[in-house]
Amino acid sequence: MNENVTEEISETSTQRPAVALKQEQSANHDASSIEMRRLHKRFGRDTVALDGVDLTIQAGEFFTLLGPSGCGKTTLLRILAGLEAPDDGSLVIGGKDITETPPHKRSVNTVFQSYALFPHLSVRDNLAFGLKMRGVPAEQRLQKVAEIAQFIKLGQLVERRVDQLSGGQRQRIALARALICEPAVLLLDEPLSALDAGLRSQLQVELKRVQKRLGMTFVFVTHDQDEAMVMSDRIAVLDGGNIQQVGTPAEVYERPATAFVARFMGHENLYAITASQDNWVETSLGRLLLAPSEQTSAQEGWLLIRPETLELGQDQPEGYNCLQGVVKERLYRGSRIEYRLTVGDITLMAVASNLGQRIHHVGDQVTIGVCPEDLVRVAF
Amino acid sequence: MRKRTLHRTLRGFWWLTLLFLYLPLAVVVLFSFNASNSAASFTGVSLRWYRRLLSNDVILSAFSNSMVLAVVSSVIALVIGCLIGYGMYRHRHRKLGWLIVLIYLPIVLPDIVFGISEMAFFVQVNRLTGLFQPGLGTMVIAHVTFQIPFVALIVYSRFVGLDPTLFEAATDLYATPAKRVLHFMLPTLKPALISAFFLSFTLSVDDFVISFFTSGPESATLPIYIWSAIKKGVSPEINAIASLMIGAVAIAAVFSMLVNRRQT
Amino acid sequence: MATTSRLRRRYSSIREARHLLLTVAPGAAWIMVFLVLPSLYLMAVAFMTNGPYGLPQMPLSLESFKRLAGFGFLGWSPGNLYTLLRSLWQTIIATGLVVIVAYPIAYYITTCRAKWRPIMLLLVVVPSWTNQVIRTFGWMNLLAPGTPLSSFAESLGFIAPNMGLYPSSFAVTLGLIYNFLPFMVLPLYAAFEKLDLAQVEAAQDLYATPVRAFWYAVFPQTLAGLLAGVVLVAIPAFGMYVIPELLGGGKSLMLGNLVANQFSGGANWPLGAAGAILMLLATFIGLFAMRRIGKRLGGGEQVVI
Repeated sequence: MNENVTEEISETSTQRPAVALKQEQSANHDASSIEMRRLHKRFGRDTVALDGVDLTIQAGEFFTLLGPSGCGKTTLLRILAGLEAPDDGSLVIGGKDITETPPHKRSVNTVFQSYALFPHLSVRDNLAFGLKMRGVPAEQRLQKVAEIAQFIKLGQLVERRVDQLSGGQRQRIALARALICEPAVLLLDEPLSALDAGLRSQLQVELKRVQKRLGMTFVFVTHDQDEAMVMSDRIAVLDGGNIQQVGTPAEVYERPATAFVARFMGHENLYAITASQDNWVETSLGRLLLAPSEQTSAQEGWLLIRPETLELGQDQPEGYNCLQGVVKERLYRGSRIEYRLTVGDITLMAVASNLGQRIHHVGDQVTIGVCPEDLVRVAF
Repeated sequence: MRKRTLHRTLRGFWWLTLLFLYLPLAVVVLFSFNASNSAASFTGVSLRWYRRLLSNDVILSAFSNSMVLAVVSSVIALVIGCLIGYGMYRHRHRKLGWLIVLIYLPIVLPDIVFGISEMAFFVQVNRLTGLFQPGLGTMVIAHVTFQIPFVALIVYSRFVGLDPTLFEAATDLYATPAKRVLHFMLPTLKPALISAFFLSFTLSVDDFVISFFTSGPESATLPIYIWSAIKKGVSPEINAIASLMIGAVAIAAVFSMLVNRRQT
Repeated sequence: MATTSRLRRRYSSIREARHLLLTVAPGAAWIMVFLVLPSLYLMAVAFMTNGPYGLPQMPLSLESFKRLAGFGFLGWSPGNLYTLLRSLWQTIIATGLVVIVAYPIAYYITTCRAKWRPIMLLLVVVPSWTNQVIRTFGWMNLLAPGTPLSSFAESLGFIAPNMGLYPSSFAVTLGLIYNFLPFMVLPLYAAFEKLDLAQVEAAQDLYATPVRAFWYAVFPQTLAGLLAGVVLVAIPAFGMYVIPELLGGGKSLMLGNLVANQFSGGANWPLGAAGAILMLLATFIGLFAMRRIGKRLGGGEQVVI
């Protein structure tokens, strides 16, 4: 099947769609900033979906809500769309309180996880649906549909029925159907989760480019931390209806605020701090030196060691923490090599780029060097 | 080898069963063209019974009663059943057991109990208040009652088969509640509504027992006319009118077969 | 803060309840007023006394149930009981014969090519789309004295000369089989279509003879559909009115006729209502048994609903 995977929305396209132009001209960035205050939502008697969420999203930002299923990210998105009413709290978009505004009066559009394309309509009528509901005259509708279809490079498909489209095509049509209405904010509810890996990573890049070109505020929901890091300007990590951390991908990955965030971002090397003095901490791996900036008054917490910061080998630079470990398992991943090491009876993961240096074998004794600058304290 | 014999026996049995199913109908159609009025021997082809139909006012009025009854009751049942089917869908997460029981009641109740209940009720209410004079009105009421469940279940199962986020997508794309009904729900339901209407129509035309007990002196339908003609002594005209009704069903069958083909 | 939360929740729940009411109420009210209420009235009638013109009168009594059991003005007579037993007997015979015909037919359809199956099912169902009175009339034509079928039966000595196969109990049974065959074929077909052939192959692999393979691997899998069919056939057959009235020629009445006759020609409403209660009981016992057994077998309910 022709997925059109090779066709991309090129950045240098000479045909700029009206949608894009209008967004750039108006450039009134405040019109699409989002403020959430103390949002609460319960389902039934005791399922708390949101437990007082405060969050500000800048205009023109690609903002991702990241978390495991049941963390409240989808509920938050549905509240933004107006499909769910918060029990308490307020929602302001572009300076206007829209907490009580029904979805059909909000300048917010959604790309649904299932795409939700209307099966009784052709691709063209699906694209034009929002404009028709807003009372845009037929002539203008046709013109806009033609523009947007060209923008997403699916112009040849407009006459088709929805059930004749492939997954990737449906995804793009769903995106175009939401973009054509030029909303202040575009919401995306795990829009790529139904696609296979190759197509998925290609569409991640495309989606990011579209957002940059239009300068529109995107709020993206996903449970995939890699996807979140690739696409987002900022990420909010949620758990149990609470925001755990808000930050850029680098901040969230390199300096997770809590042990939950660290684990969710894929970190395995987390060790409980049993005692701490100045910039020294005591953990199950032993006494380790931290950078002076990590010095806090907090006695307890977790120590995070990112596997890619570990140096394996005899010669360790001056000032590094040195540990003696044994290689228990080696996974060859092509561009990199992963080691499972033990220090005493504590497990430590290490990742080395495959640069052709010495490869360690299972059973080898190795010296593990840890730069104090790479050690991060993580709160509970 | 043995499998083949089994299959051949089954095939023979299948054709025998078809013969059993269609022979009575074929006899009715055949004798409707009989030149003589004997029910036992076929003496030659003629259209005299069909010609006699056209000049029989009682049959013509029975035909028109049947049609009026079927159309009016189907339209009312379509509206009410559609609403209830949507309500059942929209509130499917609630405990609606009582509603399910209520919906299934007209289906499971034996026809005869259904018919006499309504008759006894209408007669008594009529004696007390003068309302519900037995006639087409009471028949429409009774027919709508047994049509509602079928319409509701068809509409409900159509909605259940839809992606629930479609409703949200429509609202998200600026459809007001009224526009959502007009531009999303009704168009999506259209095939279901058409088949619900045809089913209601067929059920109404096909019904004898319930119509019989709720009808008045002036409101005989075709089945009631045929019934009384049979009871009075067989008239060959019955063959003709019955053949026409069989023909209508045959057309409906071919129609549904074509629809079936197109879907697959 | 807590109050706005409560207010919002209450407002949205009121809105939802109003929506439920607006959509469901018309239909629910219709069925309540025009079916539940009349049925309750009918049940009440069964406990009243028979008055002039067969209409019910006030002193409450169990008179009609006694009459149904055969106790009349002239002492006990078995007429009504015969009718009840005949209904039961006809129902059992007809249901059994319908199973015997429908089972191989349903199986045969599943062995045919997929593209023919819907058409074959349609062929089985179409006769039941025609009016019941017309179908029965067709059988009257076929079985009347002097028709080839009657002459054939006569020549074999099954019936007396010039009697014809109709009217008779035999004709009623035949009419019932004809009428209810599709109701049995459809659920059985559904069961056969879902049949797990791996089980049959496993049985054959484990040295089962064809008969044993059928009994242990095929039959249990179709039992739910079979039961659904039995309920769909037996319940309406027990209350059948048209077929005994036309094909039985007044000699082979069933419960449906007994009930109906009490409401036409000014006979005895309370007696008819008592008969109707009996029919309702049979219906609900049948449905209840179906649900119980269906639950134990799994999937039975889905076939019915």
